[in-house]
Amino acid sequence: MGPLIPNEIIPVEWNFVLAILIGMAFGYIMEASGFSSSRKLVGVFYGYDFAVLKVFLTACLVSLIGLSYMNYLNWVDLDQLFVQPTYLWAALIGGVIMGVGFLAGGFCPGTSLCAVGIGKIDGIAFTIGLFIGIMIFSELFEWIEPIYEDYNLGHVTLDETIGISREIIIFVFTILAILAFAVSDRIRKRTKKIFY
Amino acid sequence: MKKAENQNRHIYWNPYFGGFLLGLLILFTFYITGRGLGASGALKSSVVTVVNQVSPEHSETNAYYSKFLKDSNSPMNNWLVFEALGVILGAFLSGALTGRIQWQTQHSPKITARRRLVFALIGGLLFGFGAQIARGCTSGAALSGISMMATAGFISMLTIFGTGYLVAYFFRKNWI
Amino acid sequence: MQEELFISGRNIPKIDPSLEVWHFPISLYLFLGGMAAGIIFFASLFTILGKENKVQTAIKPAMIIVLFALSIGLIALFYDLTHKLYVWRLYTTIRVESPMSWGAWVLLFVTVASFLWVFSYFSELFPKWSIKTGWLKSFERYLINHRKQLAIILLPLSIILGIYTGILLSAFNARPLWNNAILGPLFLVSGLSTGAACIILFSRDHIERKLFSKIDLALIIIELALIAHMLMGMYAGSAVQLEALDILIRGEYTVMFFVFVIILGLIFPALLESIELLGFKVPVVIPALLILIGGLLFRMVMIEAGQLTRYLY
Repeated sequence: MGPLIPNEIIPVEWNFVLAILIGMAFGYIMEASGFSSSRKLVGVFYGYDFAVLKVFLTACLVSLIGLSYMNYLNWVDLDQLFVQPTYLWAALIGGVIMGVGFLAGGFCPGTSLCAVGIGKIDGIAFTIGLFIGIMIFSELFEWIEPIYEDYNLGHVTLDETIGISREIIIFVFTILAILAFAVSDRIRKRTKKIFY
Repeated sequence: MKKAENQNRHIYWNPYFGGFLLGLLILFTFYITGRGLGASGALKSSVVTVVNQVSPEHSETNAYYSKFLKDSNSPMNNWLVFEALGVILGAFLSGALTGRIQWQTQHSPKITARRRLVFALIGGLLFGFGAQIARGCTSGAALSGISMMATAGFISMLTIFGTGYLVAYFFRKNWI
Repeated sequence: MQEELFISGRNIPKIDPSLEVWHFPISLYLFLGGMAAGIIFFASLFTILGKENKVQTAIKPAMIIVLFALSIGLIALFYDLTHKLYVWRLYTTIRVESPMSWGAWVLLFVTVASFLWVFSYFSELFPKWSIKTGWLKSFERYLINHRKQLAIILLPLSIILGIYTGILLSAFNARPLWNNAILGPLFLVSGLSTGAACIILFSRDHIERKLFSKIDLALIIIELALIAHMLMGMYAGSAVQLEALDILIRGEYTVMFFVFVIILGLIFPALLESIELLGFKVPVVIPALLILIGGLLFRMVMIEAGQLTRYLY
């Protein structure tokens, strides 16, 4: 059966029509969960608001378990779905730069678009910054290229990398996530409340 | 009740509910299109389009831009661009229903709006730069990556949040 | 010398179906004409009902927009003509069976009547420039006294103008996408809704905005129903109609049609307007602008996609 568009059950032209509807749902969910507010987003790093952690991990759990289950029911073929390639050093360095950017700017690209949607000026500034950052990257690409292209591990998944079966990873991840939820609630009770 | 809502604009969904819906949306997206959600890719396509409009010679000689330029279809013709447009509209709809739409710069009372904007710009710059190296941002690489159990997704999530905790101390004045 | 021998009558530029001869100016003209018809319709309707005071924007500033819209539309139309110097010939004849002849004449009358309308409000619109000349002043007074009669003339003319933009296309029986009876009413309703959106955009009066939001919402629902019927009608049609339908629902213009016309131009603004009517705060500019852009894109899609379809093969 699925995925529907690559298997041409839905005509390819509908790809973009569905894209805008999916985007609307994505934006709506993020805004309604409070992701358009930078002070709420960074709360996770100072212990006064763990919404990001909870939303992020819940979404990961639902989609991880759901995709495996849909694969089991033969609704989707996991081999046809897109797994992004792992470039070890590029992912590490990029992640570190993004982490600093997150704390400095208070958004990530998706949430900054959300903030633009409801008229946050800091969201607009962040988005302009994103454009400039991408342009700088492209101009410096010749120097960065060795890091960008090397250490390619291919389109690997975690179970292939560390050699534990998929089910066990999901199980461990679930336990860890539930632990994280419990711990975050404890921390939140202890830290000073911040109103924003 | 109405008055209480007007005074407090921060009534958001229960995070578990939001996360559950977001997870369902990711499942739906994979089921329909075979790939996950994303955001930074749309911005990249826009940059490539703009640069290509302003100076086609430059974009063709540049090793990075030329990757995304094919003769027949414009890079703007990208799934993620439509998705990003939808994100803005969806956020607008949600904001309209909760009365959160207004021009404002949200910042800690300890800093000025100007400082907040400068930091937002710098943060965006770093995030855009990093997202290109890592081939995706928090939604594209981390969230959709973890859903597919891609190793890169876990690495991205751990490094973004790990670095965040490491540097949080230095930025505390901006937020708390 | 190179001689060419045409065996079939096909695929010869300007002889057999000379495809894509109508360009962007035509869609612009159809959009502006429809919008002007919409505004005139509302202005004259409320004047006849004697409720001018409640719709100050519709009868005054919006009617000035009408003049601009009609002038720009006519310039666009003229610009797209191949034989510009022969334009006067349209006015040497009246042909009942030709929509173009109808359109040309109606357009002439509507433009003149709209000028008279705006002139009758001249003193109210520009209080500083009072009219000094004697006969002009008495002419203005004559117009002010006969506004209702002017509205009674303009109301049917605006409906004809709005519907003609669609009939003009549906009279092309060699273009399967256009050749259906719903196109006339559909363009009329779309014109009325863009006209209402234009009034909302310029209105400062809260009550008037709300009134036109309601009207616009109803019109959008009718428009969506008409579009659905148009597609259903094509679906029930012969092979050429099915092919025309394919362009819209699974072909070149699917994205334009569904994303920008249906979702962004109709459903999303309708949603915003309805939640605004329910009492939520929505910046009213957004739905109004989306409706206007959607209306223009709708014409462009119909014009361009229509010229891809034909009976001859």
